[in-house]
Amino acid sequence: MTVWLRRQKRLIDYTVASLLRRAARNFALLAVYTLIVFVLATVMLFTHALRQEAMVLLDGAPEITVQRISMGRHDLIPASYVDAIADIRGARDVRGRLWGYFYDTANGANYTLMVPDGDRYGAAPDVGETVAGAGVARSRGVVPGKYLFLLSPRAKLFKLKLKDVLDADSEIVTTDLVLMAESDFRAFFDVAPDVHTDIVLKVRNPREVAKVAEKISNALPDCRVVTRGDILRTYDSVFNWREGILLALLGGAIFAFVIFAWEKASGLSAEERREIGILKAVGWETSDVIKMKMWEGAVVSLGAFLTGYVLAYIHVFYFSAGLLEPVLKGWAVLYPRFELTPQVDGVQVATLLFFTVAPYIAATLVPIWRAAITDPDAVMR
Amino acid sequence: MIFHPTILALLIGSALSSVMVLAGAAFGVRVLRRWDIASGRHGQLVLERRTYLFSVLLAFVMVAELLSLLLFVFNADRMSAQFVGAMCAVGTLNANAFGFPALILKIAVFFLASVWLIVNHVDNMGYDYPLIRVKYAMLIVIAPVVLAAAGVQAAYFLDLDPEVITSCCGKLFTQDATGVSAELAGLDEKAALVLLFGSLALAGVVAAVHARTGQGGMLYGAVSVLVFVAAIAGIVSVVSLYVYEHPNHHCPFCLLKPEYGYFGYWLYVPLFAGTVLGMGGGPIAVFAGAPSLAEIAPRVSRRLVTTSMVCLTGFGAACAYAILSSGLILFGT
Amino acid sequence: MAMSDTIGKAGAAGVLFALGVAGVAWTALDVRLRADEAAIRQGERARLARVLELTDLALFTEARYTRHVSQSDLHSAFQDHPMSLDHFPSGSLIGARRIHPGAGSIIGEQP
Repeated sequence: MTVWLRRQKRLIDYTVASLLRRAARNFALLAVYTLIVFVLATVMLFTHALRQEAMVLLDGAPEITVQRISMGRHDLIPASYVDAIADIRGARDVRGRLWGYFYDTANGANYTLMVPDGDRYGAAPDVGETVAGAGVARSRGVVPGKYLFLLSPRAKLFKLKLKDVLDADSEIVTTDLVLMAESDFRAFFDVAPDVHTDIVLKVRNPREVAKVAEKISNALPDCRVVTRGDILRTYDSVFNWREGILLALLGGAIFAFVIFAWEKASGLSAEERREIGILKAVGWETSDVIKMKMWEGAVVSLGAFLTGYVLAYIHVFYFSAGLLEPVLKGWAVLYPRFELTPQVDGVQVATLLFFTVAPYIAATLVPIWRAAITDPDAVMR
Repeated sequence: MIFHPTILALLIGSALSSVMVLAGAAFGVRVLRRWDIASGRHGQLVLERRTYLFSVLLAFVMVAELLSLLLFVFNADRMSAQFVGAMCAVGTLNANAFGFPALILKIAVFFLASVWLIVNHVDNMGYDYPLIRVKYAMLIVIAPVVLAAAGVQAAYFLDLDPEVITSCCGKLFTQDATGVSAELAGLDEKAALVLLFGSLALAGVVAAVHARTGQGGMLYGAVSVLVFVAAIAGIVSVVSLYVYEHPNHHCPFCLLKPEYGYFGYWLYVPLFAGTVLGMGGGPIAVFAGAPSLAEIAPRVSRRLVTTSMVCLTGFGAACAYAILSSGLILFGT
Repeated sequence: MAMSDTIGKAGAAGVLFALGVAGVAWTALDVRLRADEAAIRQGERARLARVLELTDLALFTEARYTRHVSQSDLHSAFQDHPMSLDHFPSGSLIGARRIHPGAGSIIGEQP
């Protein structure tokens, strides 16, 4: 065993020395490789953490949401529907909700205006007051105690006293919220008193959710029913699908890198060929040269993998994936500031390893072999 | 479904492996027909040079296949959250008809690939390519299995529909159901335990004889297969009960879950390692007939069989620990 | 160079490799160390989301169908007329959705 170890040590000694001799070229390869691992790992860590966050946060979403659809669009739902749903067995706490979107001409941002349920949310605003998400307060520069001015769609100026700002830690779900009292909301949007945006309800027995949902859509055929399971599955698959698509797109980058690695490994310089020729002349066997070259690949790919992965972890969990922000933000004015709960998943690390190291090794195998079978006399002549 | 990152990795990996194994098998046919170490023809020289390439290439494929089995099972367990009715890997694998065949084929590839790696290792130690024909004949047998595993796996993932309501392990591994899984679950507990520890003891005896005299390598290979079968039966019918501390929960996959402290890995890793080393390591002794391996083959064989027995002892210890530390009492004390 | 002379280049490579592995181990440790505090804060967020009955993440505020992914109706990506294709950047970050017959609901899953 010690003989074997000493042999490998010598091989690595030689490999590292030969890598250092061509430091500039190898550094370029290492840098590109590290960058690829970094981008892939960032995407994987970020989507995984977001998915987990969505699963935890939305686990408390209403068990069933009912919305009325008219001409393919979400429409206001009459208050009479609340009673109709309340008659269905198993449904309880049926409640009409009021919420809507508002485009703020002052800063070009979209807000979600909402009337909270006073029974559930203790700090609900009174008439003339508001509680806003941290993103709204930040972008409008309002602090608690001051006034938030909003120009209603009917061109009336509303003056709401900012009672409180929602916990900045929860920005990922609340950044664009503007909470207000029901009468303010109806006056602001000029909504009739007998309609709601949608209806939420609870189900007494969680096993009956599907049954109740079916009864609702039978009783109210113009309504769409969204269960909590639908919401969770939507987010799960949105992130899975996005992550997969991104990886497939990045596959192009991996492929380009593989070609680069192949080129680099097969385009041996005259100097390298001479080196291998001399090694064989002094008694190295073909399998030794292959081993040496494999060590070279291992040093490069493991180095790139470890560095890229650790950098991606720091990027995602200490800098909130700041480099991805422009992509996620799009044209939006409000973008939540959030810190994700650190998550590392063994399956993910294994997948990442598979995606990055395997193609590299596969690409360099044949060139390595080509180099290794070089005849000593062919190069030294 | 197919855009799931791990699924993509598995599909790409098996596609790459298939191409490489096919190329290797084609080369194997040429080796079997043309190989003649005594000849100095140009063709022979080309063949000799190529063997270096394929030796490395196939070693790479085989290692990738070993990792891909792990990833496959991991992933099946992880994806159970996305299927209605699934609670562990069983539900995910049961989501369509290709799940379990894919797993079984991947396990078969795992065993074949490991044995091939052992033969390859020994062959590389001899200076005159002593096992080259054996190696490539084996490869020609392995290639269709690798291709079948890749195909069935692809069919499984492509056919995976998140809307399908699958059944959980509770339905599959019960005495009342039909099929192999139910047969295993319904096995008499006492008989299963006797079979499990009996086969381990038998393996121990054969390993001791082998270490002392160098005889019985082939036998040890056969016994390690027996141990594997007995172990799987034992895990499903008895050991799982002790781990779950529940008299009717027979699932061999839930063992891998964090709720049970990942105990399954303490069982499966030594079991698979021990079986594979035994299957490959025992029969290796036969190759002592080749002049360049006369000294090497028995030495390697002895080392592998000893390691195999260490692994199997570890597996037995894990089973014993599960039984002794459990709160469940199956037999009157 | 003095170091690589005494312990050899393999040793130096080994040290670097060990640093890399230590980095990965650090990420795993960091997850553990931050877990408790993060769980408390996440619990607080979850509580707020529950009492306000929130159904979506506020990641994409630019369009209504990206703000409330799970609530938007099928046609909202074509807001104005059937040929007005999705033009918000984040629309491309969210998968297209598909109706599951009979389920009466919509899931953002690609076929």
